[in-house]
Amino acid sequence: MAAASSSSYSVASSLSSLRFTSSRYLPSLTHYYLPSTPFPSLFSSPSPSRRSSYRPLTRRPTFSAKAASVDRKSVLIVNTNSGGHAVIGFYFAQQLLASGHDVTVLTVGDEGSDKMKKPPFTRFSELVSAGGKTLWGDPAKVAEIVSGVKFDVVFENNGKDLDTVKPVADWAKSSGVAQFLYISSAGIYKTSDEVPHVEGDLVKEDASHVGVEKYIAELSFSSFAIFRPQYMIGSGNNKDCEEWFFDRIVRDRPVPLPGSGMQLTNISHVRDLSSMLSLAVENSIAANGKIFNCVSDRAVTFNGLAKLCAKAADRELKLVHYDPKSVGVDARKAFPFRNMHFYAEPRAAKEVLGWTGTTNLPEDLKERFQEYVEIGRDKKDLKFDVDDKILESLKVEVTA
Amino acid sequence: MNYGLHYGKYPTVLEGYCDANWISYTKDSKSTSGYVFTIGGGAVSWKSTKQTCIVRSTMESEFIALDKAAEEAEWLRNFLEDIPSWMKPVSVTYVSVKTGRFNETLMNPRCSRHHVHCSAYSPATCAMGALEMTGQALDRKELKWACIHLILCIQESKKSTRRFVGLGSRSATIPRRSYPGITVQKMLMSKQNKAVWKKRILHLKGDRKDFEFVKTSLAAEGFDVVYDINGREADEVKPILDALPKLEQFIYCSSAGVYLKSDLLPHFETDAVDPKSRHKGKLETESSLDSRGVNWTSLRPVYIYGPLNYNPVEEWFFHRLKAGRPIPIPNSGIQITQLGHVKDLARAFVTVLGNPKASKQVYNISGSKYVTFDGLARACAKAAGFPEPEIVHYNPKEFDFGKKKAFPFRDQHFFASIEKAQRELGWTPEFGLVDGLADSYNLDFGRGTFRKAADFSTDDIILGKSFVLQT
Repeated sequence: MAAASSSSYSVASSLSSLRFTSSRYLPSLTHYYLPSTPFPSLFSSPSPSRRSSYRPLTRRPTFSAKAASVDRKSVLIVNTNSGGHAVIGFYFAQQLLASGHDVTVLTVGDEGSDKMKKPPFTRFSELVSAGGKTLWGDPAKVAEIVSGVKFDVVFENNGKDLDTVKPVADWAKSSGVAQFLYISSAGIYKTSDEVPHVEGDLVKEDASHVGVEKYIAELSFSSFAIFRPQYMIGSGNNKDCEEWFFDRIVRDRPVPLPGSGMQLTNISHVRDLSSMLSLAVENSIAANGKIFNCVSDRAVTFNGLAKLCAKAADRELKLVHYDPKSVGVDARKAFPFRNMHFYAEPRAAKEVLGWTGTTNLPEDLKERFQEYVEIGRDKKDLKFDVDDKILESLKVEVTA
Repeated sequence: MNYGLHYGKYPTVLEGYCDANWISYTKDSKSTSGYVFTIGGGAVSWKSTKQTCIVRSTMESEFIALDKAAEEAEWLRNFLEDIPSWMKPVSVTYVSVKTGRFNETLMNPRCSRHHVHCSAYSPATCAMGALEMTGQALDRKELKWACIHLILCIQESKKSTRRFVGLGSRSATIPRRSYPGITVQKMLMSKQNKAVWKKRILHLKGDRKDFEFVKTSLAAEGFDVVYDINGREADEVKPILDALPKLEQFIYCSSAGVYLKSDLLPHFETDAVDPKSRHKGKLETESSLDSRGVNWTSLRPVYIYGPLNYNPVEEWFFHRLKAGRPIPIPNSGIQITQLGHVKDLARAFVTVLGNPKASKQVYNISGSKYVTFDGLARACAKAAGFPEPEIVHYNPKEFDFGKKKAFPFRDQHFFASIEKAQRELGWTPEFGLVDGLADSYNLDFGRGTFRKAADFSTDDIILGKSFVLQT
């Protein structure tokens, strides 16, 4: 496994042929940047059920990363249809499109499935408006789906195990894809008394992501990189993160935290993850063979996160701590994060890519709370069965 | 009569001694070099040989002997490194000689024209600091040149200017300065060299709170650079600055304790500081330096550890491990802290000397990774070769310990990112936690030395009540 080495960023930046003029960090992805679109008619109807038009081959320019004169890259994103990291593909696609690249997003499953009714899929039309292509299908059949189109970069943001990723990786290799990026997970790091998880640290050998990482490394792409993310927040998020806290705070319910609440975890804004990926595309030589912890550079305690959410919501916070074992609940079902220190630092990204984090939880959570209220979730009728069980056993009154 | 070589367990380090005898044989005027290297108290390598050069002073003959011994030391060190179970060698503690007269120093070009003054009231860290003043590894060739420089400057200098001269070998025990309570062991130094060393370092004894004394004594000597290792209050800096108007750099040992407690970690140098913290004097010192327009650099360590530590950090754990006692840790034990080896800190101090990048900058200096309280107890056990300890958690609010401290660390997360120093200064810590603790144990506590005697009174209060917190 290639561990992050301290290769200097200046090596990559001296390769002007791979330089892009785009800025690394887009100010706010809520303001969608629309470059001149080839099909302006699509812009006016953003409904998700609209069939994405897959452009005929003849109109599609193909580029190779090695062509020194062309900046534009053709990127395929294989995206999961659910889960915490579904949103990464969305932000990354937006950022790439804004930088002028060609982006195709292949989402697993059917376009009409129920899963597509949740964000970020509900916003895929924005990608189309920006000039991207959205497809649906089974990644194992990727060769047929993209019908011989040549891609420079493939971003695999779907598979957790080798069975799922192998077909895509093999196809990418055989069709001459220059750069392969894979979203793994920081969950594969072996727990240790010493924190944080740093690239190169031991991983759990039996974790399925590890098998995938090894396989990709052995395929000898011109450039490949592994990204290990943790938890993320951001508009378009598919899985609850801060919403879990808002649900309780906004209803004046106590927030039950397992253990001492001192557990540290990384909560990153997805734009940081996306910017890291973009940098890896821009600097494919420097990024080659590296592992990147795809997280922001600050960790927060559970207690701290609860406090920040309460502050963002401008409400009082009632914190309650409990021991999952003595209460008799499964902490994984009762609480959205791993009940332990789960803390990684993005040292390789800073060193190798010159990446800087922009996650500012106090400010970002305010934005998230605004959206939370806008979509009316604060008025939604929710059940708190597990919470009630916890509070019951601790004899805490719920005044709501 | 039976003679033999006896090898014991301690000290489990390579020690070397060398000496020279000037003109031991008058007929050919040749001097003799001799050295002995021991491991565990038994000799492993020894030599007594005539020197090939004719030398005209005892000093020169000493240095030729030193060169021979250093050659052997390097060979032995490399040899031992190949043995898998041998502990990691200590980082090099060669110190160069700085003279006012020579513009080039092969060791640390930035220091060539500096006299360096070190505040002498915090013995342990100062001792380490003094010895690591240049902190750069020398190979044998450089050492020879260092010796030649030293010889020349001793012969030619008329002023008794202070220089730092300290010579150690990679695997030898750390030489310690002679302060009350700490005995000196100088390795690789003959009697003549010891005398030279004592002469070269001026020890000004006094109370730094006596500002007149500080001002007049420093002004009389005239220094280019000041390292303030133990300053706590802003007013303590004033007499130093008044005494040295042409000061080129003021290097200050501050503390990461100045950071405002936060839920978002690690602490970066740009983080908010706490004007009410126990270390507010350090903050005030930093601002006072800045406002006076001095070229200052401030280093903020977290918890410092290493051999000769006067603050019972690792020692606290070692006492309990040795006594086979359970280790009482407050609350959950998952509070995260950070330890930095004093040698790495000393190297950082050297790296900023004369470094224009460090001008008016603050750097967090500590270890590369952080550790939980529980994890630290286990790391100490691992480093010292004790079995995994029994850890007992307790709620400190349920006890009254009076004025005594039941646990040597702040009961909170406390750690800082060292990224800035790594990126801007090219400094990086050499010690990881376990091997750093092993270094401290092997060279200090493990030999039976410590600063504070074991005091288990607070432990007994905790254990007596046998309250064990659920985690």
